Amino acid sequence: MSTIKNTVLAMSVALTMSATVAETFTFISPQKPGAGTSVWTDIVVKELQKHMPNDTLKIRYYPGARDIPAINDFQSELRFDDTNIVVSHGGNGVSFLQENVAKYNYGDWDSVGAMNLNIIAAKQKSANFNKERIRFQAKSGRVPDAMAMAMLMCGPNKSISEYTSCFKENVIWVKGMKTAGGRLAFIRGELNATRENPAAYKKHIEQNPDAELWFHHGILQADGTHIDDVNYPGFQFEILFENKYGVKPEGRFYNAYKLVKSFRDGLQKAMWVNKNNPNRAKLVDALTKMSNDPDSQKAIEKKVGRYDWVIGDAGNDHRDTLMGFINSTALHDMVKFSNDALDIKATYKKDLLK
Amino acid sequence: MDILSLTALVAGTLYGLLIGIIPGAGATTGLIFLFSIIGLFPDPYLAVIFIMAVVAASTTGDTYSGVLLGIPGANSAAATMVDGFPLALKGKATYAISAAVTTSTINGLFWGSLTFFLLPYYTKLILIFGVPELWAFTMLALVTVTFVSNSTYWFRGIVALLAGLFIGLIGIDPATALDRFTFSWDYLGNGVQILPMVAGLFAIPEMIAGLRQKSCTSKIEVDSWQQTVWGMKAVWRNKWLAFRGGFIGAFIGILPGLGGAMADWMAYGAAVASDPNPKVAFGKGNIKGVIGPEGANNAQKATSMIPTVLFGIPGAPFAAIVLALFSYLDFELGTLDLIADTKFFDSMIIGFLAATALVGVLCLLLTKYIAAIARLPYKYYFPFLIAFIVLASVQYTGGWEDYAILLIASLIGLLAKKYKFSRPALLFGFILAERIEALSLQMHDLYAFDRLLDRPIFIGLILTVLGVLLWGLTRKSTLEYS
Repeated sequence: MSTIKNTVLAMSVALTMSATVAETFTFISPQKPGAGTSVWTDIVVKELQKHMPNDTLKIRYYPGARDIPAINDFQSELRFDDTNIVVSHGGNGVSFLQENVAKYNYGDWDSVGAMNLNIIAAKQKSANFNKERIRFQAKSGRVPDAMAMAMLMCGPNKSISEYTSCFKENVIWVKGMKTAGGRLAFIRGELNATRENPAAYKKHIEQNPDAELWFHHGILQADGTHIDDVNYPGFQFEILFENKYGVKPEGRFYNAYKLVKSFRDGLQKAMWVNKNNPNRAKLVDALTKMSNDPDSQKAIEKKVGRYDWVIGDAGNDHRDTLMGFINSTALHDMVKFSNDALDIKATYKKDLLK
Repeated sequence: MDILSLTALVAGTLYGLLIGIIPGAGATTGLIFLFSIIGLFPDPYLAVIFIMAVVAASTTGDTYSGVLLGIPGANSAAATMVDGFPLALKGKATYAISAAVTTSTINGLFWGSLTFFLLPYYTKLILIFGVPELWAFTMLALVTVTFVSNSTYWFRGIVALLAGLFIGLIGIDPATALDRFTFSWDYLGNGVQILPMVAGLFAIPEMIAGLRQKSCTSKIEVDSWQQTVWGMKAVWRNKWLAFRGGFIGAFIGILPGLGGAMADWMAYGAAVASDPNPKVAFGKGNIKGVIGPEGANNAQKATSMIPTVLFGIPGAPFAAIVLALFSYLDFELGTLDLIADTKFFDSMIIGFLAATALVGVLCLLLTKYIAAIARLPYKYYFPFLIAFIVLASVQYTGGWEDYAILLIASLIGLLAKKYKFSRPALLFGFILAERIEALSLQMHDLYAFDRLLDRPIFIGLILTVLGVLLWGLTRKSTLEYS
């Protein structure tokens, strides 16, 4: 009995200590200063600091190829320091699924919080994809966009190889463009289709008189379904597909699409600590306060747009929902399409099935 | 202008003047230092004012070391030195400095106004320039920097360019998204970073050369107000020469890949050519040999910003650092976002024009005190320069890898300087390699050959590239005396 009492007492003291002792926390951004996720980290950490006045929050920029080394090192080493928090983005989610060099596992971590957002595709008003090929900027994080295009162009009930051939016939996948260069090429008409996150869509597409909404991927729900975006109603990929072909999208290719789009959009910006990190409660508490603080939200929205937060255990549930999409067939099909249609050297990572 | 903008302007001007005065330093080195402090600015637009003030002030300030010590502060003052230093030895240092500063200031204000006030209007070009035009324009930058800026040693220029292209291609292959030339070193996955490359290629070799250079040890008097007035009157008498120098500098600045000493030497050559029977021989203290090149350097700095801002293609080596600094501040050059950002252009205008005027006034009024700084032995500030350069160059990861890259780049820079392999060609190859490759891929994907023939600007640029190539290969350089 006394052992139990002592244990409870020790745990209470530890919890109290972790809640009150001032710490220096390091947020690890996988990019160099000024890049997208670093900018997001800058602003979120600045606002978070206001809700953790006794602690010191600092940022470590840890750039590397395809933003992977920081996340790998967090997995192998940095996460065991309880003051380290890693910030991941949607591209890390896609790399996790299909790149051998990505050696991290979201399942080994606990979520502090994540932003769940949508990606919206646009096209030139004058473009007629029945008569001309789609000209779209290639990037490894755009696998879901390519798969949606393949299904919209080619219809239901096709094999992966058939979708691949059809995609190549209908789409010019233009390599070597950076995001800003792609936007300019779209305005000049060299590209006739593009995609953006909601904030960038408002900024770059809605003001372009020659552009129009094409489709969006929908918003991931806790039960694993995707629903229409109220900001762009009626343009969810699934709705457009059903309107065009009279059947709902389904089958192996669709499952592969659902897997990769969920990992990209559902984890577009996420903060993680090691599993059972004693500081997590403090961080989650501060993030909750920040997400309820209108001034903080206004500051964040001004820079990165308005997205919904999933915080603490809800973030873990969100992650678990995503992990539930992983199965051998979907993973295999996604990798095959990436390799054959997009020339991305993707790898089937059977370890993810464990 | 609010108090913070004014503070950024004055601080940038004084810093630029100081870095310009120091022999072997100059705009490029001064801008590299900024990477260690640029994150401290509370507002990125203040940083833009500061950066442009540094560019303007350092260009004017480098006259001092050339005239007083016989050492150019940067390449841009080397032509001024040819006649400025002999004038100083004759007891006319203030006369030479006054003429140089006046010419530099007037041309800086004139060409700076033409550039920066009209820059938002030039931006329509980026909607006209598609992938093929950008490809051809980038090729023009590579050809001019290799064959024109260093035509005496053009074969070494090609070698340097190829080396730069190779280093620039280290990283990720855009076609396959796989690592390339990284030698299994993860650090190189994002490519070689620009800062240690520029610091190693330019700043460190110049600073080491500065240690070795022997300056004039005799003290030259510089406190004559009468000479200041004479200098200004000399500019008025040679106003067309000053204007021609400015025009040459402005033209060279617009061309991507050129800049630096080339405009100055061309302007000097024009001054020599315009006076076949001079009263005082050129090279012996002819004031026209000061006014001609000084007209070119500030004008060239201003117009170099046109290709830099519009297309993200640096107009000169210093502009490559400006490009990287703006990128650090989240200003993406060559994009529509930036072009719609009037505050950005206002900050550039304030920074460049106000600093040009301010540094001109300071130099004319305080020549005596500024000269005292120029005379401070190099060995006193060399350790600080090296420390700041290293600090600014190792900010990518802060780990030993950054130091290793800086060391390697410094060795390359020292060897290239010693054996006259064009460092600008190496730098431009490095900076533009990824762009050329990406544009080549895009052109292949988007344009059939017959569609290219329908694009007159593309055809014009390709003909210009071929013309420059032919000119560079066949014409003996008029700049050999540089």
